[in-house]
Amino acid sequence: MACPDGDPAGIGGMFMTRRLKRPVAAALWVCALGFAAPAMAQEKSATREGFTLPASAKARILLFRPRVRVGSQSTGGMFEPNADWTEQSKRNLVTALGAAQNKLGHTIVTADEPVGPAAATLAAYRALFATVADAVITYQFFPGNRLPTKKRKGAAFAWTLGPGVRDVPGAADADYILFLDTEDQFGSTGRKVAQLFAAGLGVGITSGVHSGFAGLVDARTGDLLWLNADRQMGGDVREAAGAAKRMAQLLEDFPGSVPAVKVAAAGAAK
Amino acid sequence: MIARAALAAMLALAAPALAAPKAKLAALPPYAGAYQPQTVDERGQWAEADEDERQLRDSAAVVTDPALNAYVRRVLCNAVGDDRCASVRIYILRVPVFNASMSANGTMRVYTGLLLRVRSEAELAAVLGHEFGHFEERHVLAGFRAARTATDLTTWLTLAGGYAAVSTAATSHTIAGNFYAYGRDQERAADRLAFSYTAASRYRPGAAADVWTRVMDENDATSLGRHQRSQRYDKVAFFASHPAPLERTVTLRELARKDGDDGEDATDTYAAALATWRPQFLTDQIKLNDFGGTEYLLAQLAKDGWTPDLLFARGELYRQRGNPRDLVSAAGFYREAIAKGDADPLAQRGLGLALLRSGDAAAGRQALTDYLTLRPDCEDAAMLRSLAAAQ
Repeated sequence: MACPDGDPAGIGGMFMTRRLKRPVAAALWVCALGFAAPAMAQEKSATREGFTLPASAKARILLFRPRVRVGSQSTGGMFEPNADWTEQSKRNLVTALGAAQNKLGHTIVTADEPVGPAAATLAAYRALFATVADAVITYQFFPGNRLPTKKRKGAAFAWTLGPGVRDVPGAADADYILFLDTEDQFGSTGRKVAQLFAAGLGVGITSGVHSGFAGLVDARTGDLLWLNADRQMGGDVREAAGAAKRMAQLLEDFPGSVPAVKVAAAGAAK
Repeated sequence: MIARAALAAMLALAAPALAAPKAKLAALPPYAGAYQPQTVDERGQWAEADEDERQLRDSAAVVTDPALNAYVRRVLCNAVGDDRCASVRIYILRVPVFNASMSANGTMRVYTGLLLRVRSEAELAAVLGHEFGHFEERHVLAGFRAARTATDLTTWLTLAGGYAAVSTAATSHTIAGNFYAYGRDQERAADRLAFSYTAASRYRPGAAADVWTRVMDENDATSLGRHQRSQRYDKVAFFASHPAPLERTVTLRELARKDGDDGEDATDTYAAALATWRPQFLTDQIKLNDFGGTEYLLAQLAKDGWTPDLLFARGELYRQRGNPRDLVSAAGFYREAIAKGDADPLAQRGLGLALLRSGDAAAGRQALTDYLTLRPDCEDAAMLRSLAAAQ
């Protein structure tokens, strides 16, 4: 269950935040009680029909600054961001990606941070990708919530950011664009103890949130080719070995990847 | 010649004396710049805010005009002092509501709706000072900790209640109530701090109270226009994040009365700096579809007379609501705006569309033709041409 981590825009709106805060407030207290819904069976990844990464030709995959959030989860279920863990995990994940790309057989290029109008274009497409990925997870992967057109058996995985992605800085020299996003909230001691006590009452509360997704976009057409989203991931990203495991899970089912990338089901670090 | 130079010199000497700090409050403590977050919690909050700011920086919603940004920064620096304002980045966001906010790391967000509503540098200084107060007092961190304590306590309490088979709902409510009351206390502290900043600055600190008076009036006008009950200002709601505007007005007026409410308002310089922006901010405001509130706002802005941009905005507002009587009024406002000269060419477009809908086809087509002469390459030229063609 995702709990609000305070007021996202920061404190201290002069006035109107009052109206925005009310639903947050309600959610906060529900979270404090901490009775999370059991995780629903959910699809985790999909590939656009007919798409395979040509194994022979080396493709250039452009990677943008991965969004990584790492912290702990308080007893009441709030996210407590931790700057050191986040920094460390970011480094670990990028290293792990470098190692994983050999197995993928393609070149991963880390994008430079652009400035000026290019930065605005990139920001717009990052936001668009996040919105589209979120829509896929909510309305196609999640069975209870499917859009009418996605309910049919074998419904097409057809989502696109539009051919405008060609304007994203660096996309011109790349074949594909890779987006990575992970969020880790390690259950605090208090949360774990609360979990035990709650279990004594026959109530299940979760401790820790480990979610992430990876998406591959065609750098020419903007089509979403592959998306892997998992709300219960394994691997402690704060450590090198854990980050490697996480990366392997993120890139699981990567189109055209060698089976060696696949790992056993999620492990102990959950 | 010498006399003129002497006069100029005298004026130059007199000017700082006039604008000299006039606060009777205790002087502000010295400010240590480039603060670095200390604890795990604080560093975590800052890291999140840094990441948010990276996204915000490149957002399409940010108004990047250098002149407007420099102006708002100057007002902040005048209000809180040069040492303090150096630690803040200001982002003007194109959002047509009255608000501003502050992140843990010194990211200040200022909405264009706020710039449209305040009338002077002194009023703007009060709002920016309030936000800066949150930063100086590190309210985000304290608020985060208060929220965590409250939710932790509630969790333990609920579990204990579960084992003892006792309902803990009442106590949980009290904890929640205290948490929101704590947030309101932070707002009160920020108001007081903002008052201290402006009292020590060149601006009139009592201007802050005027802002809240108008906020209440505009809220009432909005409620009336939407046939809703107006808000109570004499008490706060359970989940309210801020004290009631009435309380803020009374407190700030009382502070101003005690401290001596002198200083400049800088109304004219404010109006001049915002002049080129007001039409766009008004256009955004009209899209809120808030007839009552916008009518009130326009009347406030037109205190010193209806200018072409305000008349045009009022025409658009009435045409948007679109009752037959509104279209007649709208046509009148457009005509007034055009008659004053210097109106946005879009006034001709609005006039034409309003007249066509009112059944005055000939005059309507003429107005559209006039508009197309002024703006032959406008976005909707093809559609307007078909409307302007004689039937």
